[in-house]
Amino acid sequence: MSGPYRLIVTDTSPLFTLGLADALDARLRPGLPVSIPDAVYIEATRVRGAPGADRIVAWINDHLDTVRIVPTDVGIDQQRRLDEGRSIRGLGEQAAIEAMDRFLRSDHAARALLLFEDTDIERRHAVVDARVDLVSTGDFLRELEAAGLIQSSDYILDRAAAEGRNIERQRHAVSDAEARERLQNHLRRNR
Amino acid sequence: MTESEREALVRKYAAGEIAWRELREHGFEDYVEVLGALGALGLRQPVAPMDGPNVAARQRGRVAIREALRSRR
Repeated sequence: MSGPYRLIVTDTSPLFTLGLADALDARLRPGLPVSIPDAVYIEATRVRGAPGADRIVAWINDHLDTVRIVPTDVGIDQQRRLDEGRSIRGLGEQAAIEAMDRFLRSDHAARALLLFEDTDIERRHAVVDARVDLVSTGDFLRELEAAGLIQSSDYILDRAAAEGRNIERQRHAVSDAEARERLQNHLRRNR
Repeated sequence: MTESEREALVRKYAAGEIAWRELREHGFEDYVEVLGALGALGLRQPVAPMDGPNVAARQRGRVAIREALRSRR
């Protein structure tokens, strides 16, 4: 590989999967610089009460030499949409495409590796540029497993799901407590 | 969406029959919610078979990771 090669994260799911499995460092094992488009970063870190979001922020701060947040026009649009209460669905991937285009334009020898969620990569024709390679979370974990760098990809995925279940329980407990408090306040006002 | 409809969707997702983006369209707000639903059902997220429209680019991606890992040993 002669030119620069970067891994670009196109969606929040690979971040949350490794974040909840406490395995974000696995992302750095190949030694490739990692770009996270701003819209993906914002979407991942605005999730209410998700410890995964805290871990992602801490992980990025621990690896600022390797992991960078890439500003995009899509990210600006995302901010506007958030302010206006509009949907931001799908903007992460658009921001990733913008980040990729800028990166490829910056150096004619540059190559990009786009990281997708498995079911999305399986169905849609993602990119046509010959300088762009693709990988799914599952592909990535399988390579780490084959290299003996993780116990197994299934172990990571099971751990992410188990942690996700714990977080969902906590979220429900918080929303139940909030609902109880609202009801108590309502009853108090109506006495 | 009822709880049983939600469960059916998550099972379809785990089986690779529908995509993450379709779960979003059905009201799943974030991927943590998906992982939580999978965990509650004792399932894990699907891993895509080496199939579909992006196979060549995915194979290049896996080779690139393999080589990168090898070069760091």
